[in-house]
Amino acid sequence: MTTADDTRLAMQGTIEALTTGDGSEPVVVNLGPQHPSTHGVFRLKVTLDGEIVQDAEMRIGYLHRSMEKLAEERTYTQNIPFTDRIDYLAAMSNNLAYCLAAEELLGVEVPPRANAIRVMFAELQRVASHAMANGTFINDCGAWHTPLFHMFRDRERVLDMFEMTCGARLTTNYMRIGGVAFDLPDELLPTLEQFLADMPENIANYEALLLENEILHARARGIGVISPEMAINSSLSGPVLRATGVPWDLRKANPYCGYEDYEFDVPVGEQGDCFDRFLVRMAEVKESLRILRQVVDNLPDGPWLADVPLHARPEPGESYARVESPRGELGFYLVSDGGPAPYRFHCRPPSLINLTALKEMSIGGTLADAIVTLGSIDIVVGEIDR
Amino acid sequence: MTAQYDATAAMEIVNANAPGAACVDAGILFLEPERLVEAIEALRDSEESDLIFLSNLTAVDQELYFEIVYHLQSLDLNHILQIKARVTDREDPALPSLTGLFHGAHLQEREVYDLFGIRFEGHPDLRRMFLWDGFPGYPLRKDFLQMPGQVRAGLPGFPHESEENAWPVPGSVPQRPMHPNDPQPEGELVVAEEGEESS
Repeated sequence: MTTADDTRLAMQGTIEALTTGDGSEPVVVNLGPQHPSTHGVFRLKVTLDGEIVQDAEMRIGYLHRSMEKLAEERTYTQNIPFTDRIDYLAAMSNNLAYCLAAEELLGVEVPPRANAIRVMFAELQRVASHAMANGTFINDCGAWHTPLFHMFRDRERVLDMFEMTCGARLTTNYMRIGGVAFDLPDELLPTLEQFLADMPENIANYEALLLENEILHARARGIGVISPEMAINSSLSGPVLRATGVPWDLRKANPYCGYEDYEFDVPVGEQGDCFDRFLVRMAEVKESLRILRQVVDNLPDGPWLADVPLHARPEPGESYARVESPRGELGFYLVSDGGPAPYRFHCRPPSLINLTALKEMSIGGTLADAIVTLGSIDIVVGEIDR
Repeated sequence: MTAQYDATAAMEIVNANAPGAACVDAGILFLEPERLVEAIEALRDSEESDLIFLSNLTAVDQELYFEIVYHLQSLDLNHILQIKARVTDREDPALPSLTGLFHGAHLQEREVYDLFGIRFEGHPDLRRMFLWDGFPGYPLRKDFLQMPGQVRAGLPGFPHESEENAWPVPGSVPQRPMHPNDPQPEGELVVAEEGEESS
């Protein structure tokens, strides 16, 4: 015979089992491939215990275009437009990394003006890409589109400058092996001066709006934490690595295009959480503006493209060139067999490798935190899938 | 600037811990595939080399063998080392996984498995990554499919489309086809004599 007390105890046990997860079935939730928080066609399969993430597994390949195979049948110059489409939010950085690798194979000397122009556009690209990264990250944290569109105004001005220089806004195809495709147009430098004059006030506005924001702190502080040792062991790079306190920036460690001549700092975080990644990106925009100021003041004259044959045939060999793209360490590994096309064309994609630690960052947090973590890594699916 | 770490110094570190696992050819460090893990562990843990960051991991199909290429970086000492390992078995190429040493090898090894069909023994989650399970063949192999305008030989279509589309007999070494840059055979070019009209 059951008493009322027994029934009450049994019910209490059921409720405890449901709320603590004992005996309850885990729920599998698919985020994506068409989901606003996944920033592209990317699927995250999350196993949930209540609200807590037990396992996070990513499914990728929806945007796989087999670029590494296609590039083996095209000449070195014909491959430059492919690199735009690898990371379409940082096309200039991808152009630059590929051209550096091809120049290493061919032994090409780049004129000083071309190097300065390359630095200028790589840094403008970083400003534009970080505006996108921070804007969508704040969006994921729940600020519905207002900060995103404030930051998009800056990005729009950068894309206007790209358009007036090379005619394209997103897939720029501007760098060439041995320099850049066109010289700067007359109207670029006044536009850039105006941009540099306006940006400090804009950044101060964003900081006043966001840095003390209670909701942002609640959503991003202490979320998606990773230790510096784990970050290095997982081959993370870029702002995700620097947010853990490791001052690793290829512009300082292995300067290319004359970065050693410019004065800038490498901002690092302390806790390695989502908020630190956001702070590092905000600080990097300021450093990029510092570099841009120095480039504009010391722009050398002269040719902007070295004399390189269109169908260049490098000697058999290999090269691995890396740049600090907005997302991290972007490398191109090229193998030549002496033919007009690369024998092997490999891109080291920072977006893909930064996702290695997504599972470790997400497990134990809530589902909503996993979305914030994914937003803070700043992935570009074109670069993940290639 | 990031210096290139001396391959001979790296060979000495490896051979002190795993005798005979490393050799140097033309300034490049080659490792024995069977002893890859202990060799790279020695390079990672040695204070002189300190190669704690796996920058890049990829493979190259050299037709007679697969070449697995590792780029390891030291953050404190700021040098980089390129390491290669060769696998000759085309039917079932395999070598040990580095996931026990570097968490960052996870997705890069999966990518190589997906596109080259090289198995990494000990990888906890070795599945296809970009392509679906059951995709016929491994696209980045040189004998995958004949692409438009391709100078190297490949299959005319996918194997499941026709019985004629079969890869080279398993175990046989594929022959590298003639490349325009290869030395041309002598005596085949007919040069018109002086005064004679060339056809």
